[in-house]
Formats: sequence, structure tokens, C-alpha cells
Amino acid sequence: MELINNILYDTIYHSTPIILCVIGGMFAYKANVLNIALEGMMLNGAFISTLVMFFTGNLPLAVFLAILTTLVYGLVFSFMGITCKGNVIVVGLAINLIVPAIAGFVMKMMETANINLKNVNITKYKINIPLIKDIPIIGSILSGHPPITYLAFIGIAIFAVLMYKTRFGIYVRVVGENEDSARSIGIKTDFYKYAAVLIGAFCCALAGVNLSVERLGLYTNDMTAGRGFIAIAAIYCGQGEPVLSSLYAILFGVARSLAVNLSIYAGPAAGLFDIIPYIIMVAVLAAVSIVKHKNVKVRGFKC
Amino acid sequence: MSMVEVVDLTKRFGGFTANDKISLSVEEQEIKCIVGENGAGKSTLMNMLYGLLQPTSGKILIRGKEVQMSSPIDAIAKGIGMVHQHFKLVPSLTVYENILLGVEIKKGKTPFVDQRTEIKKVRELIDRYHFELDPLDKIEDISVGGRQRVEILKMLYRNVDILILDEPTAVLTPQEVDDLMVSLKNLKKQGKTIIVITHKLREVMELSDSVTVIKKGKVVGHVKTKDTSETELAQMMVGRNVVLTVSSERKGPVSKDIIYEVKDLCTINESGKEMVSDLSFRVHKGEILGIAGVEGNGQSELVKLMTGLMESTKGTITFLGKDITNQWPAQLRREGIGIIPEDRYAQGLCSDMSISDNCIAGYHGNPDVCKKGIFNQKAICAKRDNLIDEFDIRLGDVNGQIGCLSGGNAQKIIVARELSADPKLLIACQPTRGVDIGSIESIHKHILKFRDEGNAVILISCELSEILSLSDNMIVMYKGKISGRVSQSEVETESIGLLMAGIQPGGKEAVHE
Amino acid sequence: MNKKESIIRNILNSILPIFLAFVIGGVVIACIGENPMETYWILLKKSFLSSTGFMNTLHYASPLILTGLAIAVTFKADLYNMGVEGQMLFGGFFAGIAGAYITGMNPFLHKFICFAAGVLCGMAFALIPALLKAKCRVNEMVVTLMLNYAMAKALEFLSTGFFRDLGSGYVATPTIKESAMFSRFGRSRLTMFFVIAVIVLIIMYVVMKKSKLGYEITAIGKNPEFAEATGMNVAKKTIILMLLSGALAGLAGAGYMMSEQFKYTLNFSGTPGLGWDGMLIALLGGHSPGGILIAAIFYAALKTGSDNINMYTNVPKEIVALIQGLIILFLAVKFISERMDLKGRRLHNGTDQ
Repeated sequence: MELINNILYDTIYHSTPIILCVIGGMFAYKANVLNIALEGMMLNGAFISTLVMFFTGNLPLAVFLAILTTLVYGLVFSFMGITCKGNVIVVGLAINLIVPAIAGFVMKMMETANINLKNVNITKYKINIPLIKDIPIIGSILSGHPPITYLAFIGIAIFAVLMYKTRFGIYVRVVGENEDSARSIGIKTDFYKYAAVLIGAFCCALAGVNLSVERLGLYTNDMTAGRGFIAIAAIYCGQGEPVLSSLYAILFGVARSLAVNLSIYAGPAAGLFDIIPYIIMVAVLAAVSIVKHKNVKVRGFKC
Repeated sequence: MSMVEVVDLTKRFGGFTANDKISLSVEEQEIKCIVGENGAGKSTLMNMLYGLLQPTSGKILIRGKEVQMSSPIDAIAKGIGMVHQHFKLVPSLTVYENILLGVEIKKGKTPFVDQRTEIKKVRELIDRYHFELDPLDKIEDISVGGRQRVEILKMLYRNVDILILDEPTAVLTPQEVDDLMVSLKNLKKQGKTIIVITHKLREVMELSDSVTVIKKGKVVGHVKTKDTSETELAQMMVGRNVVLTVSSERKGPVSKDIIYEVKDLCTINESGKEMVSDLSFRVHKGEILGIAGVEGNGQSELVKLMTGLMESTKGTITFLGKDITNQWPAQLRREGIGIIPEDRYAQGLCSDMSISDNCIAGYHGNPDVCKKGIFNQKAICAKRDNLIDEFDIRLGDVNGQIGCLSGGNAQKIIVARELSADPKLLIACQPTRGVDIGSIESIHKHILKFRDEGNAVILISCELSEILSLSDNMIVMYKGKISGRVSQSEVETESIGLLMAGIQPGGKEAVHE
Repeated sequence: MNKKESIIRNILNSILPIFLAFVIGGVVIACIGENPMETYWILLKKSFLSSTGFMNTLHYASPLILTGLAIAVTFKADLYNMGVEGQMLFGGFFAGIAGAYITGMNPFLHKFICFAAGVLCGMAFALIPALLKAKCRVNEMVVTLMLNYAMAKALEFLSTGFFRDLGSGYVATPTIKESAMFSRFGRSRLTMFFVIAVIVLIIMYVVMKKSKLGYEITAIGKNPEFAEATGMNVAKKTIILMLLSGALAGLAGAGYMMSEQFKYTLNFSGTPGLGWDGMLIALLGGHSPGGILIAAIFYAALKTGSDNINMYTNVPKEIVALIQGLIILFLAVKFISERMDLKGRRLHNGTDQ
């Protein structure tokens, strides 16, 4: 029982950063801008927040600066990729390389291999919701998470509303689906693309904060471990739809949670659990693609 | 005073004149149809009325006042709306979201859309015009006919008085066509002026009050619908001046040997709609079979099927007795079929590659240029020079790229390349589209010479005069089926025109759905 | 647009980003109180101006030539094989296993088997995204990105478990036997592997420029519809191309194992990884084989230089990674666009209408 509890708790724990990246990144997806810099942006959020916490212990400041710097990266990405019409894939890759480089540089200057927030008690970030925590089984699963975790799940709903019920969301989708149409109505397509990327940057920054400060109180240069790319895969599998894409993110969280919790029992083979989520994502991508193209009789393809 | 008047409207693209001093007028609450063949210039004319193109010279007058429109937004402001042939709808949005795109109603000053009011307004609009749509349906879930009605509503919501429709019935089923005609007549009763671009003569007769026929950018004539007939319109559209630039006199009757046979061929498009239905025809040795028809009736799909670029869902293709159904292009060329594709820059040539590279494309594995996977550069250059000489291709720099050639010379390279491989059958799709007169004559000469050597040609073209001047026998395609088979001796251009519109001579429907 | 202008433009497009990146790097160095010119000079001196240093540079360039080639080759067909890192690791790992567990072999044969293991593994791993792309039209970029992580984890699992060298203090596979190791030239670290890499480069050049496959790959990249219509079975060629790329990546990993690492560790590929370095090289020099060679040497110089920067100044070697990232960022935008000639005038295509 304890085990299942842990598994479920950990699922929420592991899914959060990815969910944040997913709900942020789906706007760029809908706007037809491929943002593979989610990984780097998340890492930056983690780095800056941990760094600021290390020096000041001021959490709101850390979060603020993390968001700000990540937005700067978002602007660079948008400028190079949208305004300068550069190859967005290459720009994204560049950002993914620059962020750990800067982080490594700073850490070297600080003469440390990682940033460890020893002075900060991270358990005080966990929110124990008064009534809920007492509910027999669900209580211990739902309560006791840091604030951004709750934000992430609430965010799914908020962003779904933003996407589907506001004019902004409608225009983002129009820009992505039929740019000519958008232009002929007078929609400023570049503006919406920039906005989509920046929303992604904002959410990835929060994901980074959650990953490092809130959960571990620690920063190392390979913390994100491909979570940004998992988020991209989740977005593709869910076709940019908030709830569906988040479900895929949670799928990843389940797999990771199983890996962590069952490792005691499975012995060395536990490491293999880590591979399962990646494999599942690939399989789902394949399935989604097959269904999409089932009636296509034309040979050859333009991607 | 007419509602819409166009005086000496001209549009030139570089050296090409799309519209040449066109003058016409449309009265208030009139339904006028503009008819003409493909490439006649109808869409260009309408695009100028809608602000998508600027005239080179001439005037546009709305309600007697001259107007300049620099974009569709201007046109809508002047009360002109257009429903394009290719819809500008956003599939994942709903009907009401699409109609209100760009003019959303918001809840006070919040960023939230007042969905309830929007839906209500759209419902009112739908009811007023009896359009039978559900505002909450997503575009991707409704039929093509429904989508068209959404496009019309988009314009009506913006209070246009003049509605232009570009080939509205091209993508509709017969029932949807009837529904549309009822809706349009209704709109007319409610005070709107309607201009319809179409080829479909039956609908022209049923729907319009007056007709203007355009051919090769010029006006051929204006008639009142009640004073004319389908036959007369067909004649005006296609014209009697079939330019026979080459003599296609046969040396003898067509052989009885069948070289190529298509039986019950079918295929579908992405939405599952059948684009080619149970098509069957035969080609004999030494014959040029022409496939005529208005573009969009399945010819593209048929060509793709015949050239290995599309898979069939049913049916067979036989060549020289061998079953070649669904074979890939490389195999087809090996069997002895030469292919002149529909779009020379997309399928026939690679603009970023050199002329010599293009000269061997499709046959680049042949032993004369390629041994064990490595190219013999000398042989390639020799081949290229050969082709240039033999087919009289004019170019500035023999080492240059295809992009520097004129359309005619680029097409000649394709023709040269395919014919020099000594095929037994040539599939030629729109071989002289966008080609200058000199090159047209050259290409026609080569096709006829090819035929006279005992080989066969399948000629697909939307240029009726080309089909008429070259073919020994003809089939006419309409909505994915064959609406008629004619041999050259018994052809009359008027009846072909009718067949292209789906009507058998005598007035009956040629093709039953 | 003739060939000479095209070459000049290619060179300018490569040099401008590098220059800009170095300038920004210099600013950063200055900010921490060090002298950028001095730093860069050390970089240059240690990698090029001493014979040992230069040979070391060539040595580190060897796997980079191959990974750069692996990516450049797929770029030609407009494919994005981001899985070069994973394919290389896979190839390197099993080359290491073959090197460590097979005993008593003739050195030439042993190395050959290790290379073969590397190439086959690289190809096998590339087959997955290849098939998915060809049969199911799945975007190869996302798939390969994820499989990289999957592979890294899988190899971590293998090297901490079944294949672990229990005698070693950190996670590693057993060291390969001497018969599988490349011997060094003189006092530098240079080995035959460099020669092999250059030979492969030359072979690939011949393939791309003069063979049927190269012609078809170029056509697919420029106009896939044309390629299909003229009988180049695009799906099949895509698979072949990905396999080729995987083979090159696996070769890189195997060679690196045999000439430098000698065992698989969790830091086998360095940061950010030879695969990602290959991306930079392909972007810088991918339009010609000479370009790849120069870019690989240049990048290897940066890398060896970075170790020296650490020793002789207070500048952290991460400055090189930063410069690398900046170069890639600026490379994303073609400064001199293909639609304009060198004077900035617009070029037109020849069409009748």
C-alpha cells in the first residue's frame, strides 16, 4: 500500500516539469513554430533560480529572475527564428547548448561542480493542504507537493481556456493552421508567434524552478535529462491538445515513478524502466502518424 | 446605373496579358455568370474585383463610382465579398468562430470572447438565409457543401451586397449543387448581386440572368441567359478556331493491337472521396489517345495512377500484355513508358540542379551514363549536348541551371529526355501549358513523329484545341468517370464542350452519380 | 549565380558567425577580468603552432570528421538525424566490448571486428527512425532525439551491470585489449584513426558527387516530388541514407573508443557530446568535404585549446562551449541569403509567366 502511495505521489512529482513544458510549448506548436529549445529553457530556469537562491535565499526573487532570463532566451529564439527567418531547429539547438555552457562557466567560476542549496530547507516548500491531507489514501498523494506542482495542474485548465476560449488562442491557432488566411484578415502573424514562444519560455522557467529548487535544492548541468524533448514528443502525440498532451506527460511520470520505486525490488534491471517511457512515446508517435495518413494514396512525401 | 461595372480592365504579368481590355457590367439583384476555359482569365478578373490584384489599366466602378481596392479588406468595405474555390477556413475551429474571425465579439473589455452572443448572431444569419448549418460544428467535421455555405456566410455577415463565387460547384455533389442554386436565388431575392465563375453550362442556364464569355483574356460576348442555349455557350467558349499548326494526317488507320489497357480503375483522395471511378479505356499501337476534360475531374489523379505516383484502390493497368498496376515510376520507365508530368517544375525538373543533371533524371541508372553506380561525366555531357541539338533547345549557358530557361525550353528538355529513351508509350500531361508558340509547334511535331513510328501516346490536356488537333481518338472525363468517347472523324467541338460539362449531346446527363 | 560566387558566399556565411561568436566570447572573458586576446592566443598556440599540439588537434578531429559527415549527409536530403550521438555511443560501446572480450587476435583483424561492431550497431540503431519515417512518415527529429536518451540510459544500465569492470573505481567497461588499441604516432596522441577518417571522408565525397546515390540524395533534398516522379524511390533512399548516417556515427564511436577512450564510461562522449559537435561541424562545413575537414580541425582545436585555457589562465574552459553555442546560433541565419547575390541585388527565377 505504501508502495502504491509512493508510486502515485512520485508520478505527480515527476510529471510536473513536463506538464509545464507541455502546456507552455503547445502554443508554439499550434502556431507552427517548432520550439525545441524547451530543454534549454527549462535548464535555464533551474540554473538561475538555484543560483539566485544560493546567493540571496530569496525565493520570489529567484523565480522572478528565472522567468525573466528565460524570456530573454525566448526573445532571442523568436528574433532569430521568426524575424530573421533562421532555421528554428538550429536556433533551438544553439540555445540548448548555450545554457549549460553558461551554467558550467559560472559554476567553474564559483569553483563548484554543482550548486547545492544546503542552507535552504526545501521541505518547507511542500504545501500540506489542511483538509485534504487527512483524507485516507488520496490525501498523502495529493497533499505535500510544492506550489508549482499545483500550479502546473491548474495550469492545464487555465491554458486550455486560453487556447480555446479567448481571441488570443483562436488567433494563435489560425496563424498556425492557415497563415495566409490569418494575414488576409489582418492578423499580425509575427506577434502571435512571438507570444506563443514566450509563453513556452515562461512555463519552462517555472518547470526549471520546480525541478531544481523546489524538489531537490540542487542544480547540476544535466538535470533536465531530455525532459524538454519528452515534452515535445508529448505535444506531438497529443497534437497540441492540452489535456491529451498532458496525459502523455503523466505517462512519462508514471514510468519514471515506477523506475524509482521498483528499483529496490528489480535490482539492477530497474535502470531499464527509465527506457520504457521513451519507447512508449516513439510507439505512440508512430501510431498517431499512421492514423493521420491512412487514406493517403499518393506516393512520395513532402514533410 | 449598374451595380458593378468594369471598363477596359487589363492585367499584365510581365509579358503575359491575363486580362485584355475587359468591359462588362452587372446590374443590381442580377445573377451573372462568367464562363470560359481554364486559363481564360476569369479568376484574374475576379481577383481584381476583390482587391487581391491591382489592375494594370482600366477602371472598376461600384454603384457608378470609381474605386481603388488594395486589399480584400477594402473590397469588403465597399460591399464586395468573394468565396474562393479553395476555402480559407480554419479546420479545427467551429462554424461561428470562422465566420467571426477577425471581427470577434468580446465580453466588454475582457479578452474573453462572448461566445453566446456570437453563436446567437450566427444562428440568426443562418436562419435568415435558410442555410441549415449548426454554428457549433467544427469545419473539419462538415461536408464540403457546408463549408462553402460557411464561406458565403462569412461574407454575408460582413454585409456585402455583391457576392462573387469562384467555381462554386466544382467540389459539390449534385444535391449540394441544387441546394446552392436555391440559396443563391434566395440571396438574389433578398437584394444581393451575384457573380459566378463557372464552366458548368447546365447550371449557368438554370441559375443566371446574364452570361459573359471570356476566352484567352478577352471578352467573346455578353448574352442574356433567356436568349441563349448551352450549345451556343459551348461554341463561344471553345470557339471554332482550332489552330492546326501541324498536320496530323495519319499514314493509315489505327492499328488493332492494344498496347495499354486500363480496367475499372479507382482511387480515393485524403478525405476518402473517390476521385477516379471505374475508369476503363484502351490505347492501340500507333494511336494518340486524348483525354479531355475540365481540370479537377480526376485527370490529375488518373495521371498519377498511370505514372506510379499514386496507388489505386481497385482496377488494373496492363501494358504490352503485362500487368503493371501500381508499379513505381522507375519500373514503368524500364518497361518502356515515357512520362511528361503535369507540373514540370515540381515533378519533371529540379530547378536547383544543372541542365545535364536534369537531362538524365529518371534514366540516371542506365548503363550509358552510369557504370556500377558511378557516373560517367563525359557521357552525361555528350547526352545533354545531343538532346539540345536534336530538340533545338535554346539556352544561354549550357552549364547553367534549369531556372534560367524559359518555360518552353524547360519543357522541351523533358520531352527530349523522355523520347530519347525510346519508350513504346508516351504519357504526356499538359505538355504545352505555359509554353510559347514556337515550342508548342516543336513539341507537337515530336509527338506526331513518335506516333508515326508505331508508338502510342496518351495525351491529357485541358487545352481542347491541342487534343482536337493531335488525337486520333478521345475520351472525355467528368467527375472521375468517362462521359464520352469520340474518334477524331466524328468530333464536333460543341459536343466535346458539352461532354466536358457532363452533358451528352441531346441534353441528357452523361454521367450518373 | 555562378560557382565562384557561391563558394565565396559559403565561406563568408561560415566565417561571420565564428567571428561574431569570438567577439562575444571575448567580451565575456574581459568581464571576468581576463585578457581575451591572451586567451585566444593560448588557444591558437597550443592547438596549431606546436607540432605535438597540432597532431593532437588532428587526433581529436578524427571522430568529429565522421560525426560531422554523418549529419551533413542527411542534411543534403533535408533529413535531420539528431540521433548521431546515440548511434555513436552504441557503436562505441560494442566496439569496446568486442575489444575487451575477444582475446588472442591478430591486431589488424581485431580492429576490423571492432569497427564492424561499431558500424553494425550504428546502422541498427538508425534503422528504427529510418523505418518509422519511411513507412509511417513520423518526424525523424523527435524520434532520434528521444532515442538518444534511451540509448544513453540503456548503455548506463549495461555498463553498471552486466559489462561492468569491477576492478575500476568508477563506472566503466573493461579496458580493451592491446590488439584493439591504435598505437600513437610519436609523442602526440595521433593514431591511424585519423587517416581512416580522412579516407572515409574522401570516399563519401566521391559517393556524393559522382555516384548515383549521391545524385539521388541531392535530388531528394532539393525537390522530393521530382525525385519520386523520376523514379528515385524516396522511402527506400531515406532508409539507406539513415543507415549510412548511422554507420558513419558508429564508425566514429568505434574509432574513438579504440584511439582515445579504450573503455566505455559515462562520460565517453564528453560535453556536449561528439554527436552535437558533429552538428556544429556539419553546419559550418557541410557543403563540401574540405569544409568538413577544416571545420573538424577547427573545432578540435577549440576543444584541445580549452584544456590549455584552463591550465594557463583563470578562464573556465566552458567558454569554448559557449562559443560553440553562439556559433551555431549565428549559423542558423544565413547572413547572405541565397536569394541575393553578393551585392545584395535580388535574383529571379526564369519563368514565362
